[in-house]
Amino acid sequence: MTRITLGGAVLRGTVSAALMASLMSASALGAAPVDLSKWSPEYVRSIAGTQDFDTAADCGKVTPLDYKGRLTFWYQGVFEGDPDLLRQYYKDFFETFRKTYPNIQLEEQALTYNDLLDKFRTALLGNAAPMAVRLQILGGTEFASKGYLEPLKPEDVGYSTEDFWPGAMKAVTWDGTTYGIPTNNETMAFIWNADIFKRAGLDPDKAPATWDDVVKYSKQIHDKLGIAGYGLVARKNAGNTPYRFMPQLWAYGGGVFDEAAANPTYKQIELASPQSKAALQASYDMYVRDKSVPVSALTNQQADNQPLFLAGQLGMMISHPSDYNVMLDLQKKATGTDKDKAQTVIDNMRYGLIPTGPDGKRAVVFGGSNIHILKPEYVEGGKVDEPAAKAIICMWTSPEWSLKMAYAGSNPGNLNGFKTKWMKERLDSIKFLDVTTSMLPYGIPFPALPQSPEIMNIIVPDMLQNALTGAMTVDQAADDAAKKVKELMGGGL
Amino acid sequence: MLRKIWEHRADYAYVLPAIAVMLIVIAYPIYYTVELSFFNTPPGLQLRDKNFIGIDNYTAILTSEVFWKVTWNTLIWTLGSTFISFVLGFATALALHRDFIGRGVLRAILIIPWVISAVAASYIWKWIYHSDFGIIGAVLVQLGLADRPPNFIDSVSTVLPSLIVVNIWREFPFAMIMMMAGLQTVPDQLLRAAKVDGANAWQRFWHVTFPHLRNVSTVTILLLAVANFNSFIIPWIMTGGGPSNASHIWITHIYELAFGRQRWGVASAYSVLLFLILMSLGYFYVRALSGNERKDGSA
Repeated sequence: MTRITLGGAVLRGTVSAALMASLMSASALGAAPVDLSKWSPEYVRSIAGTQDFDTAADCGKVTPLDYKGRLTFWYQGVFEGDPDLLRQYYKDFFETFRKTYPNIQLEEQALTYNDLLDKFRTALLGNAAPMAVRLQILGGTEFASKGYLEPLKPEDVGYSTEDFWPGAMKAVTWDGTTYGIPTNNETMAFIWNADIFKRAGLDPDKAPATWDDVVKYSKQIHDKLGIAGYGLVARKNAGNTPYRFMPQLWAYGGGVFDEAAANPTYKQIELASPQSKAALQASYDMYVRDKSVPVSALTNQQADNQPLFLAGQLGMMISHPSDYNVMLDLQKKATGTDKDKAQTVIDNMRYGLIPTGPDGKRAVVFGGSNIHILKPEYVEGGKVDEPAAKAIICMWTSPEWSLKMAYAGSNPGNLNGFKTKWMKERLDSIKFLDVTTSMLPYGIPFPALPQSPEIMNIIVPDMLQNALTGAMTVDQAADDAAKKVKELMGGGL
Repeated sequence: MLRKIWEHRADYAYVLPAIAVMLIVIAYPIYYTVELSFFNTPPGLQLRDKNFIGIDNYTAILTSEVFWKVTWNTLIWTLGSTFISFVLGFATALALHRDFIGRGVLRAILIIPWVISAVAASYIWKWIYHSDFGIIGAVLVQLGLADRPPNFIDSVSTVLPSLIVVNIWREFPFAMIMMMAGLQTVPDQLLRAAKVDGANAWQRFWHVTFPHLRNVSTVTILLLAVANFNSFIIPWIMTGGGPSNASHIWITHIYELAFGRQRWGVASAYSVLLFLILMSLGYFYVRALSGNERKDGSA
């Protein structure tokens, strides 16, 4: 399989100043441990393995290693769509924490992405929350704005704010105060099956350049081979949907608000703009007009696209670098001729940059997770063991563990993670990592608003479903969604 | 009256713990839900910072398009599931009431859908129905009966009937068991007498068997109706109320409003309305039970 080198692509590409600025504020550039202005696969390779870190010693300065305490901790853990490799690192992390802090009684609970918010909200209402929580990037401002979280900044656990992506720090900041620390940050990439491209009469080594091309390619694949072209996902209450639709929306020049701008104000609702409607129209064309995407897109999530892709029944999809490892894991479980078929698909797996919109705009969701400490009044028992909470936060956000816990699927929240020996090892062992790290400068964070989870998990998927099922026209669906966002922002019922 | 109460003091003492538990786990949540239904709970505020808005939540619900859509779905879901489950259960009970070889095994097999976990069943059916590689679609395509797999749960027009089929599959054994129990109470001598009098099978069923089963039928139908009104697992796991709200019923919509959108006030108002409907069904259920008791001469 050919490794795709995209060295110059980032610099040659149409990276808008606005997008760059949204992630890399000028004030942060100078003091960051890595030079974000030089970001490219070559630069990432050049810094990998250049510095050693002693996690236990560093965290021992925050919370003494012989500290005796008790900690309840919930986190968004690995789920069925993650590779076994990541599962092992999660196991290793908790084992290492227990060895490093033998006197802290840790009671951890893993929850899936889709379940965590509901369970956490319910626990908060009953003052039964854990002392610390690792939430998806979308959740931080919601809970900070409601006053559930303690102020917490990287300096509180021995790091500096500049050690983290400026865009990620925005997601943990509410009303000028920092309420959490990013653990990992990620951008996805575009994945395709070169063999399917070839058989459909497309260039097997070239990703579709624009979203309009995706629509065309998807139709061509479907018409020629009778299989699904693009892995569209439009399920409600599933994180996969906004992560796949928002890049399309932004590329066409649309948005929920002006979140793709350098300094978003979130005042103007853009969901009903012609650009947003064009993005929705592209999904409509694939699902309804061309029928070139999985019919099950309305009830499925990305984890359902993975076996379709491995079975050679899907031509293209947006996903993490970890999908390559997921495919290897799935292939190991296959039997008989299925195993060979799966191997053929893996050999033909290609990664590329996510396509641009008609004006050359390229965008991807700047995703990830953050870790927070709760206020005692919302915690079961009314007490928070702050040193114990800081101990686990220090460890998880350390260069070592923020890298290892994001090994196959994401990137370290702590920028120093890129300098570790594990990053070097990762670059050599995780195929296509170059491509997904190349997407980082195109990343746009979700609006840092308490209403964001509802907008992204319910209103945007509803808009897609209304258009794709024919319950509404594309125009009506976009107008309806814009109206709902307006009502939501106005505090409506 | 006081003397009567005093005479029955032991009886009151026996039911006191149950009443105390009910007050804590039922009465207080009901009170709190009713209270919350008069407040606005915006997503940027904690629940304790709620704003009093009078009956605005009820007005908003009754004037919203979604409410009527969800109510219509709920009616179709409840009536469809209840009626067909009952008819199917009753028919199966009649068939299994006859004596034939393998009756016990068949009875045990038919109970399986009712005893397996609803969550597991929902996931299995989701895969059976899968619009791209579900087993039903694959078989139909293999047999040449369809060009492509039918769209069961990704279409607004077929999703609700598809979910109702799953619900019927799961709960008809309950109706079957209830009706089988009822059939045991039909006096054999009456059926024999009717036969001697020249009544055919249908006449014996309609004039002898069915009147004896009227009360157990009423109770079964009411229990099924209450269970279906409150049904959450199948629609939530299989479709989450989608696509485009086409399979949202009241209970899933309330859940989404409360836990997905944090509209605790509106969700509470919905819950109050649902509570009133279920209480009405509960009233008829108790009346049916009391009717039974009076006829049995035990009350």
